[in-house]
Amino acid sequence: MFKRKVNLWHVLLILIVLMAILPILFMISNSFKTLQDSYSSMLSLIPKNPTIDNFLTLNRQVNLLGLTWNTFLMATIVTLGKLLTGLLTAYAFRSYQFRGKMLIYLLFVATIFVPFTIVMIPNYLVIAKLDLLNNVVGVALPQLCDATGIMIFLKTMEKIPNSLIDAAHIDQIPNRKIFFNIVIPILKPSIVSVGAIFFINSWNEYVWPTLILKDKGSFTLPLALQNYISSEGGTNFPLAMALSTIMIILPLLIYLIFQKYILNSISNSGLK
Amino acid sequence: MGKSNSTIELKQVSKKFKNSDVINRMNLKVHAGEFLVLLGPSGCGKSTTLRMIAGLEDVTEGSVLIDGHDLQTMKNDGKAIAMVFQDYALYPNMTVYQNLEYALKVHKVDKQVRKQRIDQVMDTLNLADYADRLPSQLSGGQKQRVAVGRGMVKKSKIFLLDEPLSNIDVQLREKARDELQKLHEIDQQTIVYVTHDQLEAMALGDRIAVMNEGIIQMIDTPDNIYNQPANLFVARFIGTPQINIIEVVLQNGEMYLNDHPLLKVMGHGELAQQKYYLGIRPENIKCSMTPKGDYSLPAKIDSIVDYGRFIQLSLKLANGCLIKSIVNSCDFTEDDQIYIDFVESDTVLFDHSTEKNLYWGKHE
Repeated sequence: MFKRKVNLWHVLLILIVLMAILPILFMISNSFKTLQDSYSSMLSLIPKNPTIDNFLTLNRQVNLLGLTWNTFLMATIVTLGKLLTGLLTAYAFRSYQFRGKMLIYLLFVATIFVPFTIVMIPNYLVIAKLDLLNNVVGVALPQLCDATGIMIFLKTMEKIPNSLIDAAHIDQIPNRKIFFNIVIPILKPSIVSVGAIFFINSWNEYVWPTLILKDKGSFTLPLALQNYISSEGGTNFPLAMALSTIMIILPLLIYLIFQKYILNSISNSGLK
Repeated sequence: MGKSNSTIELKQVSKKFKNSDVINRMNLKVHAGEFLVLLGPSGCGKSTTLRMIAGLEDVTEGSVLIDGHDLQTMKNDGKAIAMVFQDYALYPNMTVYQNLEYALKVHKVDKQVRKQRIDQVMDTLNLADYADRLPSQLSGGQKQRVAVGRGMVKKSKIFLLDEPLSNIDVQLREKARDELQKLHEIDQQTIVYVTHDQLEAMALGDRIAVMNEGIIQMIDTPDNIYNQPANLFVARFIGTPQINIIEVVLQNGEMYLNDHPLLKVMGHGELAQQKYYLGIRPENIKCSMTPKGDYSLPAKIDSIVDYGRFIQLSLKLANGCLIKSIVNSCDFTEDDQIYIDFVESDTVLFDHSTEKNLYWGKHE
């Protein structure tokens, strides 16, 4: 009876995995198809006449390296910014007692519930005044702080036993060293996994960069992709798929490299 | 070690957490090189006292003096005090060696000196084999030794320990206790040691401060704490099985339990004819099958428990109250009627209202 139950679960899980992976396989396979093949047999996973022409065409039409670099730069600045501010803020909440602490924390958390649409225009005006349009810095600047990070890091830091921090205080270890030598290493798994999520989100970001980046030279990958989905010449499906494939390479690599940490931080907090 | 050690003094120290008094006007003096144990039930404020000495907790009122200098204002270079925590508080991201080294490194102790000190401590505590292990790879006893070692490498004048042995199993605890004692004999640091385990306190302390509800009930040598407890709380808290406390009345120079005379009181004319609490340790009760005299008190054996090392008798008195006695061997069986005798010098007399020891038999 029990065995049968397990098998049913497995069937369900396999279905979910297929649902998750099929679109990606579909995307990769279409990026190797000719335009005709993609129209005649879009759903087949094995291309009839495999070709790398799509990638060569892309390489001629856009500056792939430049696009990737722009996207990487933006995502890196945003990720590092969010991690640094998140960790520092969480540590302050964790270690210091000050007036209005709870109120300030709640205000931070409340920003999660403010929809992007509301802050979009004010942010745009500020960036324009700062003369940062067409600049990845302009895209990154309003995103350097994120309440989600603060919340997650604070929850993880609260699991660090007080005695550990007390022990460091007894030894008169300066707060800066406690933060970098003790707290950060303990939090490493959650920093890596939260960082990976920040990076991938930022990598895929579309609306906000569209507002700021007008010049094609400053485009990120999602903006370039848009051109192939609804450009004036109609949608060139295999080209769009090829660019999408290029786009997932880096996030995929990041995930594979840090997989151990990401899974680890989901299953436990890294503290024993 | 030829090094002068520090004194610790608490002057009228109070600590309040959100209007509840945790420590109430405490005065305490720890001598240089002394091993002082703070003993008490959980929640009595002993850990808070230790944390105030460590400077981890601010005092609400009063002052903590280290070598006569106020802890609040003195320059703290992190070398004066070392502390071992109940949960060891080892840095989980550092190996055993790095744990011992970290504070020294931050305070820029010379690399050569550092290595020499750490090697010596690891040698003393048998940690050399684990130098490269992470705390998560150690057993409870090993973690405890690392925690003690981390305190030792600092060569501080004051060593504070907060229930360092309560998380390891009994056999190891005894061994660790011996080690701590040996370390104190060598280094002669001033040690303040918090525990709720009276055996640990008795074995380790030069003096023991028994605490309850934020107040030091008694501070004295283990011997005096056991034999002349200052009040009923200390008497009941120290010793297993517990001390027997019976309500007695002094009449015409004799102590009466209900209508039965227990003791003839010699030359204590200053004692008023009123109710008292009489305390007697279980091992001081003399049991026999036949009455030895007028003062022998009849009792019925309620139960006999053989602990191997000693036999514990539960005795029911005529008035229904139960007292405990321990003997090395006996021929009694349950429900036997026996007779018990008290010796005045083995008993402790407490005032009925203040519950304080009247130290009878000690003044003359």
